[in-house]
Order: sequence, then C-alpha cells, then structure tokens
Amino acid sequence: MADTTSTPVIKLHGLQKRFGIGDAETFALNGVNLTINKGEFVAIMGPSGCGKTTLLNILGLLDRTYDGEYELNGTSVATISKRKRAKIRSQQIGFVFQSFNLINRLSVIENVALPLIYKGATRTKRLIIASDILRNFHLNEREYYMPYQLSGGQTQRVAIARALVNDPSIILADEPTGNLDSRSSHIIMEELSDLHKRGNTIIMVTHNPRLTTYASRVITMLDGQINTDTKEDASSIANRYEIHKPLRPVKQKNRFLNRIKRRKK
Amino acid sequence: MRFLLINHVQNAKQSLKCSRVRSTLTMLGITIGVASITTILSLSGGASRVISSQIDALGGNIAVIKPGVASSTVNNVAQTQSTRDYATSTLTEKDITYIENTPQVQSAAPLMVLSGTIKADSVASSSSVIVATTPKLQNIANLKLRDGQFLDNQLDKNTVVVGLQLSIDTFGTESSIGKILTIRGQNFTVVGVLKRINEPVNYNSVDFDNAAIINFEVGKSLNQNVAQIQQIDVKADSVSNLNKVVASINKTIKNSHKGENDFSVLIGDKISQPTSQLFFMIAKVTTAIAAISLIVGGIGIMNIMLVTVAERSREIGIRKALGASNADISWQFLIESLAISLGGCVSGYILGYIIAIAISKFLIFTPVFTWQIAITALIVSLITGTLFGLYPALRAAHKDPIESLHRYE
Repeated sequence: MADTTSTPVIKLHGLQKRFGIGDAETFALNGVNLTINKGEFVAIMGPSGCGKTTLLNILGLLDRTYDGEYELNGTSVATISKRKRAKIRSQQIGFVFQSFNLINRLSVIENVALPLIYKGATRTKRLIIASDILRNFHLNEREYYMPYQLSGGQTQRVAIARALVNDPSIILADEPTGNLDSRSSHIIMEELSDLHKRGNTIIMVTHNPRLTTYASRVITMLDGQINTDTKEDASSIANRYEIHKPLRPVKQKNRFLNRIKRRKK
Repeated sequence: MRFLLINHVQNAKQSLKCSRVRSTLTMLGITIGVASITTILSLSGGASRVISSQIDALGGNIAVIKPGVASSTVNNVAQTQSTRDYATSTLTEKDITYIENTPQVQSAAPLMVLSGTIKADSVASSSSVIVATTPKLQNIANLKLRDGQFLDNQLDKNTVVVGLQLSIDTFGTESSIGKILTIRGQNFTVVGVLKRINEPVNYNSVDFDNAAIINFEVGKSLNQNVAQIQQIDVKADSVSNLNKVVASINKTIKNSHKGENDFSVLIGDKISQPTSQLFFMIAKVTTAIAAISLIVGGIGIMNIMLVTVAERSREIGIRKALGASNADISWQFLIESLAISLGGCVSGYILGYIIAIAISKFLIFTPVFTWQIAITALIVSLITGTLFGLYPALRAAHKDPIESLHRYE
C-alpha cells in the first residue's frame, strides 16, 4: 500500500505538550515533527507514558493547549474556531478510546448512532446506519443490549463501530484491540484495513506488535519524541511477515527495519 | 438544528427516566411553587368576579351610580370604602327622578344605608343593617319573598321587610309577619320576610339576609330629613341599551350637578372595582410570597443539574469527542432542566386547581379558569427552568473533554 497520495493530512512541527508548571514541569511531548499523508495506516508504538495518547488527543482536536505547529488539511489548527473544531471532529475524525467510553444509559445501537446526532441525521436514518455498521461487527443481535450487558470484547467492538459510523476520513484509535481476543482482534483489524483500503487515514496506538503488520507505517515513540519511523518501507517490510507466524519483539523488528533503511541510503 | 432539538428532548426524557426519584423530587419543588401561584390567582380571580357574576345573573343590565369619582386604582388599602360611607353624598333625590325619566331606563332605586339598633324580642347583631329604599328595588335586585310582600307605597309608611337571618335573630322565628320591629326607637310592622339569598358580598354592599328594609321617606325622616344616598341602582330595559343609558345618565346628572363630575356611573366589572382591587392587592402580595417557594424549587433544579453534570462529565467528554459543540452540550442540559420545570408546571397547575376547588368549598366563590393563569404558570416555570438551568448547562459546556474522559478511569 505504498500508493499513498502525497497530500499531507496531518503536519506537526515542533509539537510540545507540557504538564505542570515550574519545577514540576514535564513534557509529555517534546518536539514532535511528523507528517502523515492521506491514506496512511500509522501504528504508533512505545512504552507507557511516552506521550502516545497525548499525541492522539492533540491530533483529534481535543487538546488545544500545546506549543508548536499542527496543520490539519493545510490549515493551522490554532486558527480554527471551537465550533468549527467540533464540526471537524464530527465529520472527519473517528475516535476509538483506550477504555471503551460508551454511555452506560444508552443502548448499544444508540451509542453507535451518537456521532450521527451531531451530523444532523434523523432518528430513523441514524438507527438504520448504526444497525448496518453493527452487522459488520457481528453485533446485530446485541443492538438493544445495554453496554454493561456486553463482554469486554463486544463493548470495544461497539466502541469501534461508533467511531466508524460517521465514515470519518481520519480514524484515531487508542489501543483498539487491547481488550479483545485474537479472533475479535482479527475482525477489527480487517475492518480497519478495509477502511484503509478505501482511502481513509488511520492512526492507531498499540502495544501489540502483531498489529503493526496491518499498518503501512510504524512509528515508535520514546520520552515524548519520535524514536523510529518506517515511513517508506513499512508496508513492504510488513508484508514480508506472515501474519500467523509468531512475531519478533518490537525492538528487534525496529532494529531490523532501521538496518534496511540504512542499507538503502 | 431541528433534529438536534428533538434529540435533546428525547435525551432529556430518557435521562430523567433513568433517575426517576431524583427528577420527581426536583419537580416537586416547582410543583409546589406553581400550585400555590395557581391557587392564589384562581381564588383571587374568583373573589373579584363574585359581584360581576351576580350582575350577570341578574341579566347584566344593571348600572350603579355612586357618589364621588371612582378611582381606578387603590392607593391606600385602608381607604378603599370607609370614607365614602360617612361623607355626605353628592347624589340627590332629584337625581332619582332625572334617572327615572331617562329613556330606556326601566327602573331606578336609591339605596340609603342607616346605622342604628334593630330590636324586637332581642337585639339584632351588629352586622345587620337598615336600608331605606323604594319598592322598585325588589325588581332591580331580584329580591324574592318568603312570606308577605315587599314595600309598597299604598301601605302604611312604618312597614318593614326583614331578611331571614334578621327575623330569626330578633324574633326567634322565620315567620314574623305582623310583628313589631323597633328601629331607632320607632316601631315598624313586618310585612314581608325575604328568602335566604346567602350573598354577603354583592354590588349593593348590603347583606340582605341581615337587612331591615324600610321606606325611603321614613329613612329620610330617621336621618334628619336628609337623603344620604349611597348608591342608585339603575336597570336598563335591555343589555344592549345599557351603554346608551349610562351615557345619557352621565349627561343629565352632570347638568343637574352644575357640570360637576362628582358621581360615577358604573357597569360590569367596574362596580366591584374597589372590592376586587383590594383582593388584587392581597393576591399580589401572596403571589410574591408564593414566588419565593418557586425560587426554592429553582435552586433545587440547579443543585440537581450540577450533580447531573458532574456525574456525566464522562458522557460530556465522549459527546465532545464525537463532535458535539459547546452549544450542543449546553442545550442538552438546559432542555433537561426545562423538562423538569415544565413537568413541575403541569403538575403544579393541576394540583393548584385541586387545592383551589377544595378551598372554595369553604368560601362563597369558586376559582376562575382563565388562560392568563395557565400562561402565567407556564412562563413562570419556564423562566425558573432557564434561569436555574443555565449555569449548570454552561458549566457542562465548558468542561475540558480530555479531563472529562479521564475523570472516572
């Protein structure tokens, strides 16, 4: 999938995010430079606390308190009004959270239909679309269950269905398969890569190196900075791995990728 | 936006259903406030309508002429009527003749209320009154006799018609025809006993159940030959001619009073104005007190909404992440508080009328049903809902989505 068009969707320059003030000041992100083109499937890896989630929040326009430049589709995000930002979130961005983040008092189908509300769809239309997407996730029999009646895996699938319901061009996933068994993970990853094939940009944070095989690009982060990036060859390298084979640990893999890079130069 | 509004309403319905006890209790605060306002307004409306409804019952073709100019507003609650009763009347006997000669006037009767003791076997209570009038009053005020006859010019001057209660109080019996009643030391023969009317408040300001009605001429002689006319009741020949009658009476009496405007011709609601305005003032004060309970209810709404917002900060975070703008969030919570206050409004309105009807069983009037009361209840509760729901809604809207999302993790 190296046929990515070269228009940058996301462009970060010197992105910094600080927590605390004075002596207690820490940098969750410390100078991130990153360009993500349209149609890329980016997997971000790294140890806990390296700033993956913070980066995702900034990319999803939820966090506005950062230093540095962030351009989304060529416009600097700092200049976009609050209302416009909500509109972009509604129409272009789909979130899959680390925890499931479903609304407990709403049924499964209503949870999935939630983003459509802010898009202005009628109730009937919302439910039809939500029902369709739930069928893709084999959850159509659970439509009127409440979230607490589902297993963890099912809950996360609902959460992912919700992120996809608006047909967003950018999908931000924070450990989408973190709570799923391998079969469900497979279904979800297939769904994500299907979306990817249709031209959507996907940015996924994960701890599971197995999932990077779906990605066209793997970025590892360390201490608020980008450690390694497999921009050019990620997909071709990844394709060499057979999915069902046990994978090597991430570090090993990255070392391998870097070696290839160096050789190319 | 339209769909969003519908959705907010659905959402509010659902979230209120989720915490049913809490919403009901919050609603109860508004219910009590609206109920007390509705009760007070409907009863005070009923009170001020007592007199005009009596006139309507008499055919609606009654005009009342009173000495002095009726002020349109009551400036001093203590001074509504008492001064006028003791001041010398500007109406004269000549005026009665003029009025009777006005075209389209069917009949007119002066009313002269005298003070003094009434006694026979026992002394009548202080609430009884002596009324001097002409025989025509029977027709105008539609006084029905239980026994005997009304005053008549053919009869002896010293005859009296007594109210039923007065008859019982003084003679100890309802049938007192032919007995002697002493009024201000003068003896009168009872020629008639009125049927019980049970209208202590009426446009004549006379409780006929407790009245001794004597001839106008005799009344004048009891009052040092001065006709102290408190009011003249006029009956037009039809309702449609009433306005014409009022205009021509105004003209003739003004002429006879040398152009002075020292009297007033009142019809309809205006007749009861002094009384009803007193009621209105009392109603205003009590409504203001009732409004305090509404404020308390409003604070209850605000309190509960703040709790709801805190409870749902995660939901707010999720909704924002999924594309809800600040306005969407604040609408969601504002509509929820409006739903509470509207629910309180409807139940309060119903409860208010139940209370009003229950209370009116002990009173001489019934509560009124007007759209003004319904609108007042609606507007008042909407204002309360908006006012006290606004702060929690804005607070919800300005929550930081990331913080909200991580709040309960």
